[in-house]
Amino acid sequence: MEKKLWWKLLCVPILIYVIVVGLSTPLSPGITSMSQYTAVTGQTFTARVTTYNTFHTKAKEVKARLRKDTSLTIAAQNVKVLDDNNIEVTFSIPAFMPSSKEQERFSLDVDNDFDGYGTLPGKFIIKQNNIDSLKGAQVWQNTNFGDLSERGTNFPFRGLLFETIRNTFFHVPLWFGMLFLFIGATWNSFMYLRTQDQDRDRRAEVMTMVGLVFGLLGIVTGMIWAKSTWGTYWTWNEIKLNMTAIALLIYFAYFVLRNAFDDLEKRARIAAVYNMFAFVAALILINVIPRMTDSLHPGSGGNPAFGSEDMDNTLRMVFYPAIIGWTLLGFWIATIYYRTLNIEEKYLEQE
Amino acid sequence: MKKILIVLFSILWTVDLSAQTENLDFMHSTGKIYVVIAVLVAIFLGIIGFLVYLERKLTKLESLIED
Repeated sequence: MEKKLWWKLLCVPILIYVIVVGLSTPLSPGITSMSQYTAVTGQTFTARVTTYNTFHTKAKEVKARLRKDTSLTIAAQNVKVLDDNNIEVTFSIPAFMPSSKEQERFSLDVDNDFDGYGTLPGKFIIKQNNIDSLKGAQVWQNTNFGDLSERGTNFPFRGLLFETIRNTFFHVPLWFGMLFLFIGATWNSFMYLRTQDQDRDRRAEVMTMVGLVFGLLGIVTGMIWAKSTWGTYWTWNEIKLNMTAIALLIYFAYFVLRNAFDDLEKRARIAAVYNMFAFVAALILINVIPRMTDSLHPGSGGNPAFGSEDMDNTLRMVFYPAIIGWTLLGFWIATIYYRTLNIEEKYLEQE
Repeated sequence: MKKILIVLFSILWTVDLSAQTENLDFMHSTGKIYVVIAVLVAIFLGIIGFLVYLERKLTKLESLIED
């Protein structure tokens, strides 16, 4: 298997697909900011809305609405297009809301027939001074917005993330690749303990090595991503980050441990046992403990980062191939290392 | 190996410095697409770094076999 070429070359078209489609698919239109985020019932106001990745001047009609879930909606009286990324919306809020709360949070939708629609979720607050939900039910008439325009095949727009949502195809699959490499390494460590075959030990070593490289790259890419999203490269308050760092240190120790023994058999046996321990520890540290508390990092606080909040079907169409592509590349590199070690071994035997 | 690492880190360091002083907005311009580019460059450099490590190991092996 390690001398077959087809599965190694398979990663090339996959990764080309991932990079080309992953970088060139446009983002859905999004709303980046509004000039005001609060209004009072009975007020008529005009706010400037800045959108991202939109071409309002090319659209026939631009619509805007405020909505609370789907129960309360109000369309903008007037939408004035300033340029491709800026519009002015005028809303006239009725004097009463059909709600008994002091304030309600609304989402803003901007829809045009050229780009499709974008949403600013839950950021706009309407306060009411006189609470009368019965009157509100009479006064407030939900305006029918019509159907939202089609978006086409776009990646979702997320506030804060912007284009960095594409890192999903590079940062995340590296960790999956690492996981698969570690699984392969652990399997070979297990087989070593059963067969005492040095070849198994070499396989375990190379897979662990490349897995560790992938893990380090995962950390570096994560830090670059964190700097742009959270504003800092590293934060010690994040359980996922800390646990991952510990897991990688445990794997570092695997190589330190290997170098501590000169006797090949002893080294292989202890390394195999340690490797199996390291895998279990890493699995718990990276995939179990961070789920138990809340964290900025997706995949914490119970959510597995594959929910609709983080992923959608257009992302998945690139994300799953990305996992396969990066994993295959990892195993390819591992086989080259493995064959190098094999030659070294054969040479030393002849001596 | 050490030299390569030093060069690599110094490159990363200068990128980081320029990002901190005048060009903070550069990384955040055009919808932060340069963050994605930086991630791709980091992965590329990482894989190249491992290839260099392999290369040196093979060179050592070659000289061993020749002797």
